[in-house]
Amino acid sequence: MRLCIFEDGRFSDLYPLTYSRPAFDLRCGRTRLYEKIVRLFPGVATAFFMRGYLEPLFKDRLEGAVTNDLDALRGDDVLFVNGRALALKGTIMPPAEEVVALRGDEIAYIYAKRETVGKLISSSGMDELLKRLKAQLSQLSTGVDLIGHPWDLVRNNPKAIVDDFESIERRGVLGKMSPRAEIYGDAERVHVAETAEIHPFVVLDTHSGPIMIDGKAKVLPFSRIEGPCSIGSGSMIVRGNVREEVSIGPMCRIGGEIEASIVHGYSNKYHTGFLGHAYVGEWVNIGALTTNSDLKNDYSTVDVYINGNLYDTGDTKVGSFIGDHTKLGIGCLLNTGTMVGVGCNLLGGEVLPKYIPSFTWFARGKISRGSGFRRTVEAERRVMLRRDVEMSPSHVQMLQHIYDETREDRENLIKRGRGRSIPEA
Amino acid sequence: MSNLPSVEARVRNIIAEQFGVKAESLRPETSFMKDLMAESIDTVELIAALEEEFNVEIPDEDAEKNQTVGQVIEYMRKKVTDKGH
Repeated sequence: MRLCIFEDGRFSDLYPLTYSRPAFDLRCGRTRLYEKIVRLFPGVATAFFMRGYLEPLFKDRLEGAVTNDLDALRGDDVLFVNGRALALKGTIMPPAEEVVALRGDEIAYIYAKRETVGKLISSSGMDELLKRLKAQLSQLSTGVDLIGHPWDLVRNNPKAIVDDFESIERRGVLGKMSPRAEIYGDAERVHVAETAEIHPFVVLDTHSGPIMIDGKAKVLPFSRIEGPCSIGSGSMIVRGNVREEVSIGPMCRIGGEIEASIVHGYSNKYHTGFLGHAYVGEWVNIGALTTNSDLKNDYSTVDVYINGNLYDTGDTKVGSFIGDHTKLGIGCLLNTGTMVGVGCNLLGGEVLPKYIPSFTWFARGKISRGSGFRRTVEAERRVMLRRDVEMSPSHVQMLQHIYDETREDRENLIKRGRGRSIPEA
Repeated sequence: MSNLPSVEARVRNIIAEQFGVKAESLRPETSFMKDLMAESIDTVELIAALEEEFNVEIPDEDAEKNQTVGQVIEYMRKKVTDKGH
């Protein structure tokens, strides 16, 4: 059998997070969505299907990955899994018969025999193949969760963390843990990887869930971490009040208060300030005292802007969603349900607009085009080098694509918010 | 040389948009600092807008030399002419 993880047409409902990565590359729990799918089928060859402009960078990271190649699916039975599926243990079982498993009317996964795949593959692409399979095969209803919007990642994060914890084969306190650090609760619910360090005066509270701290991560003194929580490799917690349901990816610097949030990786929130029910992309820097609201004063459900429309999340607890390479200065105040695009530069001192398009600046009450694409990329190149990562040509090309794709949206919003007058001669 | 007036008009429109003023109110001697109260953020944004409009690169040291609307128009005329050669 072969595994095929595909990105369907709903990637834009996951903007701004999916501007710069396929939907299956989003983090939920300790791992990315595709890593959970692959984990369910060990040793099975996998092919990935995604938007074309994301493919080169994805391949840079996952060397040797088979991508966007329909011919790779010929000659074997194939399990097609929607990349938005939250593939927790036991949710997707290898089926015996050909089947289309639907969540509502959306494909969660399809199992098709070699002959069927060979017969239905056409040059018109993955979407057409899925459409044909859906029309031809028998259908069943499945309970597999599909991530529909950014806040679904946050909502599902606690159970994803627990699932990831249970998948670790050799767990326990394997790294350096100071005798003056404390596990408050069940010590069996702590995993500290071999090269991780827990410094004195740290509390790991497992009453509400497990805590995972990956290799080369450091938790510095006077930090309190509440489970369920996952801290990625090389990340550092600096006097952090890390409350329940937090996932931090690799190479982050996290301090201040954080609750029920996902930080994808290589991002910093070093200082005091609150982040709650949020998803922060890669290469984001959050300045001191920057804070997001995740609850409205009237406790009503939170609206967010998605693809130009205001959308009721149905949740009362929704924070901010911040695209890659965005920088928030000191004292930014993010309203409940704020969406910030890729490559933005936001200055604080006031409550920011709820929607900020990619590659813009927000300062002095207005959105502008800021320093433009070339200077933004130059600055980001410097940012990445600070973590010993060189921005590759495919990374620049991906950013250029996002810049071009978001141009109209950006220019429309820039046209608002002008209004100074020139002094009379 | 026929494109020179067009360069001037485009530059004036970009400056007007950046500072939220009418293009016709801009005079060659209008100073970014003194008259338009420009801050560093305005300068960065203006350079980016000009670079995008004319598809050229403007070095920071060149930008610092141009303090009035007229100087920017002249600078951009030269840039566009040089690019054409």
